[in-house]
Amino acid sequence: MGSHLGGLEQLVLLALARLGDDAYGVAVRDEIERTTKRATSFGSIYTTLARLEQKGLIRSSMGEPSAERGGRRKKYFAMTVAGERALREQIAALRTMTRGLDAVLGSR
Amino acid sequence: MTPRPDDISPRMPRVLAALVALTTPAANREAVLGDLEEHYRRALADPERAETARRVMWREAMTTAALMLLGRATHRGSSAPNTPHPPAPRGDRHMSILVADARHALRMLARRPAFTAIAIFTLALGIGATTAIFSVVKPLLFQAPPYPGADRIVMVWKWHGDAGKGNIGFGTFDDLTTASHTIETAAAMGDWRPTLTGNAEPERLAGQRVSPTFFRVLGVHPAIGRDFTALDDVRGSARVAILSHDLWTRRFNRDSSIVGRTITMDGDPVTVLGVMPASFENLVAPDAELWTTLRYTVGLEWACRSCQHLRMIARLKPNVGVPTAAAELTSILRGLARQYPGDYKDIALYVPTLQQDVAQAIKPVLITLLGAVVLVLLIACANVSNLLIARGIQRRSEFALRTALGAGRARLVRQVLTESLVLAGGGGVVGIVLAVLGTKLLVALAPASLPRTSSIGIDAGVLAFSCGITMITGILFGLAPAITALRPQLYDDIRRSSRTVGSGSRFTRSALVVSEVALALILMVGSGLLLRSSAMILGIAPGFDATNLLTMQVQAAGTRMRSDTAVRQFFDEAVARTREIPGVHSAALVSQLPLSSDFDGYGVHRQTAAAAGTSIDRSAFRFAVTPGYFETMKIPLVRGRLFGDADRPGALPVAVLSASFAKALFPDREPLGERIRIGDTASGPWYEIIGIVGDVRHVSIDAEQLNGVYTTMSQWKYSDDVMSLVVRASVPAGTLAPAVRKTIWSIDKDQAITRVQTMTDMLTLAQSERRFTLLLFELFGGVAILLAAAGIYGVLAGTVTERLREIGVRAALGATRSHLLMLVLRQGVAMSLLGVAAGVVASLALSGVLGSMLYRVSRADPVTYAAVSAAVLALATVTCLVPAWRAAKVDPMDTLRAE
Repeated sequence: MGSHLGGLEQLVLLALARLGDDAYGVAVRDEIERTTKRATSFGSIYTTLARLEQKGLIRSSMGEPSAERGGRRKKYFAMTVAGERALREQIAALRTMTRGLDAVLGSR
Repeated sequence: MTPRPDDISPRMPRVLAALVALTTPAANREAVLGDLEEHYRRALADPERAETARRVMWREAMTTAALMLLGRATHRGSSAPNTPHPPAPRGDRHMSILVADARHALRMLARRPAFTAIAIFTLALGIGATTAIFSVVKPLLFQAPPYPGADRIVMVWKWHGDAGKGNIGFGTFDDLTTASHTIETAAAMGDWRPTLTGNAEPERLAGQRVSPTFFRVLGVHPAIGRDFTALDDVRGSARVAILSHDLWTRRFNRDSSIVGRTITMDGDPVTVLGVMPASFENLVAPDAELWTTLRYTVGLEWACRSCQHLRMIARLKPNVGVPTAAAELTSILRGLARQYPGDYKDIALYVPTLQQDVAQAIKPVLITLLGAVVLVLLIACANVSNLLIARGIQRRSEFALRTALGAGRARLVRQVLTESLVLAGGGGVVGIVLAVLGTKLLVALAPASLPRTSSIGIDAGVLAFSCGITMITGILFGLAPAITALRPQLYDDIRRSSRTVGSGSRFTRSALVVSEVALALILMVGSGLLLRSSAMILGIAPGFDATNLLTMQVQAAGTRMRSDTAVRQFFDEAVARTREIPGVHSAALVSQLPLSSDFDGYGVHRQTAAAAGTSIDRSAFRFAVTPGYFETMKIPLVRGRLFGDADRPGALPVAVLSASFAKALFPDREPLGERIRIGDTASGPWYEIIGIVGDVRHVSIDAEQLNGVYTTMSQWKYSDDVMSLVVRASVPAGTLAPAVRKTIWSIDKDQAITRVQTMTDMLTLAQSERRFTLLLFELFGGVAILLAAAGIYGVLAGTVTERLREIGVRAALGATRSHLLMLVLRQGVAMSLLGVAAGVVASLALSGVLGSMLYRVSRADPVTYAAVSAAVLALATVTCLVPAWRAAKVDPMDTLRAE
């Protein structure tokens, strides 16, 4: 059984899944804020990314510098095999838990 | 895709970039900075977000930096904060809850940077000031002298009852040391002021003549060369000296071959035995730069029992208590008094430890200052407490929700206290920075009489103190908000908007403000009393005219000055030639300058009384002057005449008395024409009193000893080898100094000239200790009143915000503007009045602490109390006006609509 994922860790991994190749700091943040309507900051996102990387659930690579970034390079993140597995297991667990609770939780 | 140069601006502010770079781990640094830059530029490009983009960017960057720091601190492979842990061992669990609370606190604080900045700055002021004062006080009051076994080092003074402590004679010292079983080693110390001559300017140095055991008593020894031995103390053997590190550096360029070489002191060759280490602190004579042997033996003319000009220091044997030693020495003294009845008038000793002796004079001042700065700290705490309570009110719903979700009361209290401690920690860190600066400033401004300034600094002990008060401060100001956060109105709080509040916390906040005002008033009253004392002292006429008066001490020493005649000739010529310098109005010499630290006291006997058989009449300070002295100093002649050139050796010996002394000595008859003896009871010339002059303040401006007797320099029984030259200038006095020195050196280039200063400078220096205390009190008072005003403003502004709805209703119902104004003003003025009243009562109780620092000002001086109270009330009222004005301008439609 893989490690437990915290709330933000989960969201970040999901964002990585959605963004695919284009997953870097600004994109991950925009994606999370857009879908969850919840404000985050680079501080919390990068802390989470660092933690995930340390757990071996994601890996990173450096991209190209751009003028918009003042000449700095982007850092892209992607899930590892272990990361994908952890995410899948967690979502499966959630699905099991939410089965039959439509009446209470309601659908939006 | 390298960036084109014109594309690189606008950039993130460099300060922010540096901050984020510092706090972010290296792996992600570039990426984070790049993201922030990108985010910023996109915001600027978006018309809707462009305006607030910069402010948002600041907040973003600071939050990111804070979170990065946090992440680093707690990152140890732990899982996400919201994940339930498997049950951990007890200690770990508490730790992790504490850590979680701390992280939460940091997050909350990072979200409100303005509030956090104000709170931290306020705390930093209080903690920093307290730490700085503590660092000054510590070496004197809490630190043992820097010698091994310092608690066994004692001073031995004669005790003269009300007159205090006094020096001892060599005979007494010798007997006490020989007969004592409790003393391990002892030494006698006397003054030595030799003139060092050589290739550079002649320099008069401060030094000590000591028994050869002196350094052994202190437990120190020279860094190079050797210590004194008994052989060096024998009269007739080669003269020797040990130098201080400073003197060695300054005058001899740290040349280690100085040991064994000969230098010239007072015209005589002296061999240098050694040099003391740089770390040596001389507590008994802080400005002594060199030491030589005493060379006294019992039987010498000036080694008699009643020749009391030596100080005695002793190291007790191990395991001997100070009281035991004191008792033994006193009993030895009693034995001596029986043996030599004429030589011992008082037979009591005062035996303090070295520590006690050094700290004695300055202790009350330091303790008062420490008390004052603690008051400032308390005011800062009250302010931050208020800030936290106000914020706590806004977080009521958050706390209520947490309670509903199961957080116990203890948990909430712990969380709030943790926040307070985190805040206090921030204040402590900034406070230490302020303290470092403050300490440097204090040392620079400190009066010369403050001992052990070289030990003042921020060391481990001071840091420990700082951490301690930081924690206490945090708990202190955290209590009130913690308790206020726990009001059990759960359901209402969750529903209610965050702006309304119950009355309980309002009372606490008002109470805090009242105490702030009271504390500030205490400090202001202290300042006021000290200020009035200073004014009183400055208003005291010194008895002479100090404007444009240049003074310097001139020495006549060395081989050429062995006879009285030579000395007198030198001084006479010095005065004559000085008078010829352009810009000099008049000049004269005096043996002891008023308000200097020198004085020479003698008993004065009336011829009429001597005939009747009575002995000592009264004592007075004796001054030997050259004719023209009174005119130069502008000391007024009351009756009779002043000295003239006819008053020479061989003519009738004449004397002049100060007015008070004349009245004291001859209460019922005319002093002019009467005769007195100065000093000797049995023989010596009778001086005829020819004049009475105005009183002159001598020892210090506020001391009451005004008895003075003047003779001419030439008619005094010996010639003083040091005289002070006073020069009245028709130009600013300081400008003449180089000319006067050159003139004197043109007569004899080897005579040292010291203490060159204008009289006004000297008067200022004399008051430096008082001035220092006053300055600090004024500083504290100012800070205190500003903090208190900020506190008043905060509470009132908060009240207006909270009662906005009520004010709106009142306005809608027809309340006039002035009515609304008075509503708020009333609350503010009530708090201030209560604070002032409490402060006045507390001041009356506490002002006794100022004690000896007050001069002719009663500690309940009504003028001071009234003025300070009025000032504080006025300031408080002005502070109330802004929130009151806001209340008056409230538009009822706006407030009612907002509900």
